[in-house]
Amino acid sequence: MTMENFGDAIVEATVMYQGKLSAAPRAVVSGDELWLTLPILKAVSGWEMKPEGVCRDEACVTLPNDGYSRLLYQEGSDSWFNLSAFAQIVEQPVAYDPKHQTWCFGPLGWEWQAPMISYETPDFTLPDLQGRYYSLSQYRGKKVLLALWATW
Amino acid sequence: MREELKSQGFEVITVAEDTKGAAACEPFIQAANPTHPSLLDPQHVVAELYNTKNVPAIFWINEEGRIVRANDPIYVLRRNRETGEATVNQAYLDGVRDWVEKGDKSLYLHDDNAIKWRRGQPDRADLQAMAHFRLGIYLYGKGDEQAAIIQFKKAHALKPNNWNYKRQAWNLGDAQRDYGTTFQEARNDPAAQPFYLPLDLPQPPRA
Repeated sequence: MTMENFGDAIVEATVMYQGKLSAAPRAVVSGDELWLTLPILKAVSGWEMKPEGVCRDEACVTLPNDGYSRLLYQEGSDSWFNLSAFAQIVEQPVAYDPKHQTWCFGPLGWEWQAPMISYETPDFTLPDLQGRYYSLSQYRGKKVLLALWATW
Repeated sequence: MREELKSQGFEVITVAEDTKGAAACEPFIQAANPTHPSLLDPQHVVAELYNTKNVPAIFWINEEGRIVRANDPIYVLRRNRETGEATVNQAYLDGVRDWVEKGDKSLYLHDDNAIKWRRGQPDRADLQAMAHFRLGIYLYGKGDEQAAIIQFKKAHALKPNNWNYKRQAWNLGDAQRDYGTTFQEARNDPAAQPFYLPLDLPQPPRA
């Protein structure tokens, strides 16, 4: 695809962004790169363009001025953001299925590179067979034997 | 174990790393009829958070929420699939009792270096493999097994030491047909990645 016919290639994509599943009703796929409009980018991933750079919550990724040209493309009234190129910048693993136009984005580089504290117990919340939810953290103050198993 | 030790501030939480969820686990959970939380984790979230590569995997967590013993490849209670007969690993249960009684003074606890080693540190390939595995689970849930297999194979190629990824994928279809192997074949392959970490229980003190 060339940039001349950019807007012709609009598809509906599915994005799993760090565990959150969203539909992206308008997306452009170029090779294996995913482009989203800025409102959809924010809805899907939380990232938005600000004067400081690409920001989410308290974090901003600031690029050299020419760094944004690869990330952003203006067509008519739409600004498109290249989420795949951004993933490369923030060292984020990405998996892609072209048949279902589905992307899976993993943790950001600074998250997975942070040394794991050996004794730290990450919290989780999961259901039992009856659909009752339990969190590990509600057992603080007790000794817990946590056992992972499977039927396979 | 849980009933015996419950009054001493002890709880058991089991988590089923099974993409088929309740459909696969319900008969097992009902046979065990547990009084402790028995949770379902079809997306393998806990395996990811705790960086485990196989099941079973047991962690001991103290009152402050610190891991004091990590990644034991053991079933405390194992039920024979054919006969339903349950056997308890007494040596391991003795260790659990010792911990519940003596707390942080128990000789069964791992030191910080051992815990660090047994938990490992995910690298870039681990995370890339995880993205493929997650996408595979999603595609399987959408009913496209072929698309799922493509993603699972990518995860396997990146991280052959992750038995969770292999055993789960093989279980969702036909291992021989889809992956050209079987569990037994892979397990017995001399070139295979280590299946389990060693279980380093301390020698019981002499009487």
